[in-house]
Amino acid sequence: MPTAPAMPAQAAEAAVDVRALVKHYGGVKALRGVDLAVMPGEMFALLGPNGAGKTTLFSILATLRAPTSGEARVLGRDVTTERDAIRREMGIVFQEPAIEQRMSGRENLVLMGLLYGRSLSAAGRRATEVLGQLGIPELAGRIAREMSGGQRRKLELARALVSDPRILFLDEATLGLDVDARRMFWGQVRALADSGRTVFFTTHYMEEAEVADRIALIDAGRIVALGTPRELKARLGGGIVTLTTDDDARARAWLAEHGLAAEPGDRTIMIVHPDPAAILPDLLRNLPVRVERAEVHAPSLEDVFLKLTGRGLEGGGGP
Amino acid sequence: MIRGILAIVIHDLKRAWLDRARLVAGLVQPLLYLFVLGAGIGAGSRMGGGDYRRFIFAGTMGLSLLFSATFSAITIVFDRQIGFFKAVLVAPVPRPAIALGKIIAGALQSLAQGMILLPFAPLAGVSLGPLETLEMVGAMLAAALTFSTIGVGFACRFSSTTVFPIISNAVLLPMFFLSGALYRLRDAPLWMQVAAHLDPVAYAVDLMRGSILGTFFFPVALSLGALALTIILLTWAAVRVFERGEDDSALGAARFGWRR
Repeated sequence: MPTAPAMPAQAAEAAVDVRALVKHYGGVKALRGVDLAVMPGEMFALLGPNGAGKTTLFSILATLRAPTSGEARVLGRDVTTERDAIRREMGIVFQEPAIEQRMSGRENLVLMGLLYGRSLSAAGRRATEVLGQLGIPELAGRIAREMSGGQRRKLELARALVSDPRILFLDEATLGLDVDARRMFWGQVRALADSGRTVFFTTHYMEEAEVADRIALIDAGRIVALGTPRELKARLGGGIVTLTTDDDARARAWLAEHGLAAEPGDRTIMIVHPDPAAILPDLLRNLPVRVERAEVHAPSLEDVFLKLTGRGLEGGGGP
Repeated sequence: MIRGILAIVIHDLKRAWLDRARLVAGLVQPLLYLFVLGAGIGAGSRMGGGDYRRFIFAGTMGLSLLFSATFSAITIVFDRQIGFFKAVLVAPVPRPAIALGKIIAGALQSLAQGMILLPFAPLAGVSLGPLETLEMVGAMLAAALTFSTIGVGFACRFSSTTVFPIISNAVLLPMFFLSGALYRLRDAPLWMQVAAHLDPVAYAVDLMRGSILGTFFFPVALSLGALALTIILLTWAAVRVFERGEDDSALGAARFGWRR
């Protein structure tokens, strides 16, 4: 009897390998068959609106939930049968704070070190080390409650690094931070990825996803697109014209008649075209409606998402 | 496993130390029972005031241990609402170690509360020799472990800090009242005596009372067996909940904020 074909080499070394993953909560289908592979050392973003299934997929990979069907492996290990082996090698930053607000940065990290089987003195050394690596040694002696939002998030990152993880999971890790603090936070994560750790993060901010090597767009429990930021944007080809008019329905009908079909959706009218600047003057001259605003721009991830799903990223259902 | 338990215990005690004012506040309720309720009811009872206070000392100790143990279990519910408990769940600590660590930490906090109440014994007319004291502390330890397990067994199923105290009162108060903490079980109506046989608090209170007064309602072996059974069953139940992590199950009691 012939042996089964060997697994493709790529899949065997993947840091995260998800196949036909399905998760139901009662009658709600949170994941409807997800496939993706993340390479070691890669910084990978899962981008989608609230309620798309991001946190469910995240929780399964983080060994907090079990899949209904399908398979998920982290660092080559099965998330349902080899949980402890995965737990030893991953670090996680949750949406919600997981540090004790009334303790100092150092005390928080020491307690975490104890959970990872370190002795009190080894946990103390590791705490100093991690705070130094992240360039925040001054947080060691400060009470978490008295830190700024950005500092607290960095302390969460430090907490996740206590185990010296090979893979780092971040779930909406910058929720509630201002733009500057967010940029600094991602700079730090990028550096961790560059030093060889795999990073898997979820976000619904497209500008955050841009720092990733590759992005998976998720919507209604399915991956709708996967690629590098540049690749995804190139899928739209050329550029985009967006129009705001006093009668969008009539404008759409006219565009359809003239072979310039607008993308479906109920926001502004969006036309993908290889040479948007060239068609804009014609549009303005000939459209039978009043154009209140016209814009030509290179495609953003938001545009890609809009084209694929007909909806924006910020919208969507509840969390 | 031992290391995991130890880590959880240190974790919890370190955080509990931040709330140490609770130990003093926790003293008020049992002292009220002992000296106000005890004096009032005792005056009209055929036991007489002094005897009645002596009688209910073990009961108020039970009350103190029961409520402080349950209160420390509330931290599980609270930690579930922030990410703190998730961080524990994703650590490579065996689930039984999480359950046992939580139970031991709660029992130690509860025992600390009890040890603060114990010096009030002479004021209640209870004089304890060295041997009685040793017996009493042993009984308190067994009681604290049982109550902490009850607390953890319940708390791990709740995700709402508003619902948990309501439900726990609906369970704790009947357990306390049926335990014979405030009256003699052998004088109680038959149905109450039967109910007391199903109430772990009754066995714990009886062990403590027996070590003070020298007479037991239940055979000591039965009491110890009942407490051990309670601890084993509820620890097992808590481990099963922790193994499910954040996940749903078919139990589906979401309506009351039950951890599904």
